[in-house]
Amino acid sequence: MFKELDPILHAQLRLAVVSLLIGVKEAEFTFIKEKTNATAGNLSVQIQKLKDAGYIEVTKQFVNNYPQTTCKITQQGIVAFEKYVAALQQYLNVNEAQK
Amino acid sequence: MDNLVDMNERDSLRIISEMIQKAKGSHFHENGTSAIMWGAVIGFCGIFGFLKRYYHWNIDFDEWTLALIAIIPQVYIGIKERRNRTVLSYEESAMNAVWLVYGISIFAMVFYLNVIPYATEQILSKSGRQLMMQFSDGRLEAYEPNALSPLSLLMIIYAFPTLVTGITRKFKPMVWGAIACYALFIISLFTTQTYDSLLNGLAAVGNWLLPGLILRTKYLKARKSMHV
Repeated sequence: MFKELDPILHAQLRLAVVSLLIGVKEAEFTFIKEKTNATAGNLSVQIQKLKDAGYIEVTKQFVNNYPQTTCKITQQGIVAFEKYVAALQQYLNVNEAQK
Repeated sequence: MDNLVDMNERDSLRIISEMIQKAKGSHFHENGTSAIMWGAVIGFCGIFGFLKRYYHWNIDFDEWTLALIAIIPQVYIGIKERRNRTVLSYEESAMNAVWLVYGISIFAMVFYLNVIPYATEQILSKSGRQLMMQFSDGRLEAYEPNALSPLSLLMIIYAFPTLVTGITRKFKPMVWGAIACYALFIISLFTTQTYDSLLNGLAAVGNWLLPGLILRTKYLKARKSMHV
């Protein structure tokens, strides 16, 4: 029985954001935008979705009168990512076996 | 990157590995400013202290006051670096903790070295005792208790965060700087306080100033290549 892929993570930009955050303690919005090559608008929407799912934590503050958004993966996000990777491995193993 | 959901498992795997690699390669590059500043300040204090004692300069100035004053620019550098940082890696976070503990330890040690003589004297006098030192000619003088070779002790602490950082970040100049610091510590056990001061200054130069300058050169090179 195949595990279903988490629909929150099974989207290019959201997966990219979580994969990026899994390797660092925290990252700013500008950093994520630069690394994912996403537009600010699209990224904001996807970050909000990840935040609503409880996968990331978002902190907003003002530094030198400029807004600064910092994102951090939550424990729930780590668990979801690990489950997603495990499910992915299952699919990949079947594909390899069918070749 | 758009947000299509019709991707297969290979696409997912590609995105995950690509992003993990990007996160790995984008650690904040330290620009070496703090290391250069502390290397220069402590280096100067040590070498100046040596010259003052060796040539008997009659200057009523405690050079180590500079080390206290240097905390002010360090706080400014720390705040500025934090503001400019767009990502914080786990490794960097651990390194920050190491340097913070080092800062507290060195402060505690300097505090100890300054307080102990007075505190011991007070404790002894309360119980009606006093430490005396007898010279070879028979003279007897009051002896102010103090830790022997305190600058040697400082050198052990100097080397600790530098070696941890050097090993963790695989930055050889810091590893060699720390090893040199340990070597100078051993030498300092057999020298007088005048030479301990000089060794202390040299330890700061090898431990921080030189690695800091190398770090700075690397940082400027990396920044230049980013703007090309």
